[in-house]
Amino acid sequence: MSKGEFAVIGTGEVPCGNYPDRTEFEIAYTLSRMAIKDAGIDKSQIGAVLGAAHIMGSEYNTEVVFGRLPEAIGLRNCQVTGQTVSGGASSHSIRRTAEGILRAGEAEYVLVVHAQRFSQFTMNEQAQYFAIAGSDLEFEVPYGMTYNALAAMVTQGYMSQTGTTVEQVASVVVACNRWARLQENAMFRDKELTLERVLNGRMVAYPLTAYMCNVLADGGSAYVMTTAENARKVCDKPVYILGEGSDYSHRSITKSKARDLAKMGAYLGPVAERAYNEASLAPSDMDIYEVYGSYPGVNLIVMDALGICEPGRSGALVEAGETSPGGKYPCSTNGESLGMGHTGTGCGFAIFVEGVRQLQGKAGRAQVPNARFLIDNCGGGAFMDCHFTIMGNEIP
Amino acid sequence: MTADELKELLGLTDEDLKKPLPKPTKWSQPYWDAAKQHKLVFKKCTKCGHIDHPPYLYCTECHEDDHEWIKSTGKGVLNAYAVNAFAVPFPFMPDLPYVTAMVDVEEGPRMITNIVECDPEALENGMELEVVFQERTPEFTLPQFRPVKK
Repeated sequence: MSKGEFAVIGTGEVPCGNYPDRTEFEIAYTLSRMAIKDAGIDKSQIGAVLGAAHIMGSEYNTEVVFGRLPEAIGLRNCQVTGQTVSGGASSHSIRRTAEGILRAGEAEYVLVVHAQRFSQFTMNEQAQYFAIAGSDLEFEVPYGMTYNALAAMVTQGYMSQTGTTVEQVASVVVACNRWARLQENAMFRDKELTLERVLNGRMVAYPLTAYMCNVLADGGSAYVMTTAENARKVCDKPVYILGEGSDYSHRSITKSKARDLAKMGAYLGPVAERAYNEASLAPSDMDIYEVYGSYPGVNLIVMDALGICEPGRSGALVEAGETSPGGKYPCSTNGESLGMGHTGTGCGFAIFVEGVRQLQGKAGRAQVPNARFLIDNCGGGAFMDCHFTIMGNEIP
Repeated sequence: MTADELKELLGLTDEDLKKPLPKPTKWSQPYWDAAKQHKLVFKKCTKCGHIDHPPYLYCTECHEDDHEWIKSTGKGVLNAYAVNAFAVPFPFMPDLPYVTAMVDVEEGPRMITNIVECDPEALENGMELEVVFQERTPEFTLPQFRPVKK
């Protein structure tokens, strides 16, 4: 990719939460119309539609793969459709696919859509799925491993090696909650969480209380992407993709490239640095840090890589309120999965779309004044990979 | 909560409370065969010496097939742990609270396992552990770890 080759010109988002009567098809169709309208183009200009995966399967995945979306949205000039999936990192792999389609000249404008309705499944079905999705079926699940246990283990190891306190871990949840309360589509927009409440929540897997574990939600988001050249013609404030850094580490956490949990941030630092370098920007140039770690301890590990503090010291930064609204380092401004709600493969999409809104000046009450540049992050699996993307409303 | 109380409260059957068992692959079967004989073994490449755990079809370092199964001393060190207290799959509810952990075994591999015979409050990263074997069914035995008694 060359710097600023592609841009996002419009987004859409629906409220996140428990909406059993709103099907994933309704979500996808609603979002598509919204994103096309926001982009200010005609639907006939969309040449490709990429759908993200609906977690736990559903008729929706089959329909996306069999080309339902272009037909239902009425995209008469669509040339390419498909699904790109890599769990929580899908927002990254699908966008890279979109960029490839644009570069190949197969389409001028690509629509990317994510929709999820967890509420069609019983609580038990959801619990059973997520209990084991992050773990190796042969070598981990028989030991009673769960996603929460995985995050708890990583957090415990990180805390013990860095001296990060449980209060600092809990303060990530509080900071995300403060952002969520400024977001009209966030699941927890009306629920205030204090540090005491987070710490005194029901213990799920020590050191994680229930409030430190994300909650599954229905929701979705979409955006329209095009070349920078097209973007400048049709959009007042395109958001450019300026730099990328990615690394895959493992399937099982036991095979993590960073053997030492305290050094996860140090391992990820050079990955983020690649993105900064490609954008010719420094960590201090960022106005926002859109981190998606899915658990507060993982958010701290990712923050350790951003170049805004010494690795292992992110907890102090968050505890001091620096990542909250009004802080020096606004982080995860949509409230992250902890405040927004966890929409399966959609958390990365939600935080990316929020980043676009911020840089377009459309972030409402959560708007960071005069935001020009940000670093976006996502990852999937059992913390299998990590992706950093620098975005900006100008090309430095 | 006991298994019987759980069944009563949640309307579960014996089937719902069966713990998940490994489904061995062609290349992992020897691991489980050894565990049944209370031996912890790892797959080691005889060409380059690389140990793969979990084992894979061929050496992930040099792609060679030739390998041996080496017997571990069963000594390990606690790297990190979680004390599971709530919201676990039904079959593990009667075990609450139970400990899942990452253990670094002497030969090099890091394993996910349980720490047993230990008060969770007494757990400390870096503590020395030794393997024990839990016979879960007549077919499957799981290697677990407990603190080394000083």
